[in-house]
Amino acid sequence: MKPILMLSLRQFSSRWRLLLIFFLALLPIALSALMATLASDDSEYAEEFTNVIIDALIIAVLIPIVTMVLATTAFRHELDDRTLSYLILKPIPRSLIVLPKLLATIVVGGLLVIFSGIIATLLGPELDAQAVLAVGIALVVGVVTYATIFTWAGLISSHALGFSLLYVFLWEALVTSIFSGVQYLSVRGYVLSIINGIDGNSFSTLDERVIEFPAAIVGATVVTALFFWLTVRRLRRMDVP
Amino acid sequence: MTISGQSRESAAPEPVIDVCDVSKWFGNLVAVNEVSLQVYPGITGLLGPNGAGKTTLLHMISGLSGPSVGEVRLLGEPVRENATIFRRIGVMSEHEAVYGFYTGREFVEFAAQLYGLNPTKVAVDRAIEAVGLTEVQDRPLRTYSRGMSQRMRLAATIVHDPEVLILDEPLNGTDPHQRIEFQDLMRRLADEGRTILISSHILEEVEIIADRILLMVSGKLAASGNIRAIREKLDQRPYKVRILAGNPRSLASALIKTDAVDSVAIDPDEAIIVLSRNVSALQRSVPYLAQELGIRLLRVEPLDESLESVFSYVVER
Repeated sequence: MKPILMLSLRQFSSRWRLLLIFFLALLPIALSALMATLASDDSEYAEEFTNVIIDALIIAVLIPIVTMVLATTAFRHELDDRTLSYLILKPIPRSLIVLPKLLATIVVGGLLVIFSGIIATLLGPELDAQAVLAVGIALVVGVVTYATIFTWAGLISSHALGFSLLYVFLWEALVTSIFSGVQYLSVRGYVLSIINGIDGNSFSTLDERVIEFPAAIVGATVVTALFFWLTVRRLRRMDVP
Repeated sequence: MTISGQSRESAAPEPVIDVCDVSKWFGNLVAVNEVSLQVYPGITGLLGPNGAGKTTLLHMISGLSGPSVGEVRLLGEPVRENATIFRRIGVMSEHEAVYGFYTGREFVEFAAQLYGLNPTKVAVDRAIEAVGLTEVQDRPLRTYSRGMSQRMRLAATIVHDPEVLILDEPLNGTDPHQRIEFQDLMRRLADEGRTILISSHILEEVEIIADRILLMVSGKLAASGNIRAIREKLDQRPYKVRILAGNPRSLASALIKTDAVDSVAIDPDEAIIVLSRNVSALQRSVPYLAQELGIRLLRVEPLDESLESVFSYVVER
């Protein structure tokens, strides 16, 4: 698994991509600091912080975009330049090809997003360690779940980036905001519910938008396992160019 | 139609590669059509013009793609969805892309690690030495010439000392000297008992080293066996040509007097139908006689497309 992880890390380390991710990861920290400076006396500061920084920026935009940029290319580049056969024609289980690809996305993009989310939370309205822990754990779940979905998308379509953008902005951002029942089928819903489940006091403003904590854990686990299995299955059965 | 040049299949009990009634289609396009073949230890050349279906067939043999119908077995096992079999086989695809950021040595070492070799050093040293690239092994692959890159890919293919080698157009980009070295290496590996299947669209590349030839034309296995035997067999088959000319009866009379044709007929459309077992002579005679008699040639076309391809490919080269 280690050689494929190292290969994937090198493939992900193109300058423009790292710069883009770094810039995106800086946004919540910068906005959080700005909000703390300008609006910390506002009575609705805590609520605004949760809605704007945590939900709208980090969970609805940052996690999906960063994981999308990396995960959709995890296999796509190798399919396009026809180097995937170097991995496929080896005596290794297909799951051990998919797993390091996922890990590479999590290491390169995920850690930065999680780190950014934690720093932004620390800069927020006097949130305690439990709040930071809640955000940290929820972001890990979000990164892993999105990475699995987008890795699968990159394997099945050459237009994965476009389809993934549509999915994020139509389903995760728009539909889940309008229909509350959809939270059961939404990664964003799982992440918000986990934050609220771990620290309901600090993030009480999310009460109206979340599902049950166990349901969120089960939902994220099922989605991750399902898309991991679909990716392995696809890799096993596809015609490799 | 499959022409068999020899009957090795009946003598060898267990083929190393066994392709059984395999077809592969992409939508309406039939890339490989009901191909059955067996490959035994030694060097077998898979020949055919570009677009004949060689790569599609090799992809199915190496498990990169599955047949639409039929079955492929390697070393007695199904190859599709059977990753463990790659411990025993080495496949070099026709696509020349490599991880350009790796050095040649890193690339071979990467392959060795994925094959599960531990330690890798001895195997990597041996493989790189076998392809003669020891001196440049620490250079990034993106700085290699096409021929060097092909040789380093070959090193990565043989690093785990496989029993079976499947090589798709391995000589692309190599110069004459490198080809001779490649042929020596293949012969050495075959003499050690390995089974090697090499595809090429250039007959001369493979004819020198292959013990046996598989000839693909238009998705079908057109001929198999020793190349000389295939040529002899092909020469025995009549070749049917339709000729449209300004004065067909005069041209037909002249053609029947030559050694190039077996029979001549004129169909209701006033086209000349020629049967010939001597294609080269026919190709020379038709324009020569037409010019001599002052007859305008309107069209010359083969009536058996696949046979024509076999002839043009095997006889003319």
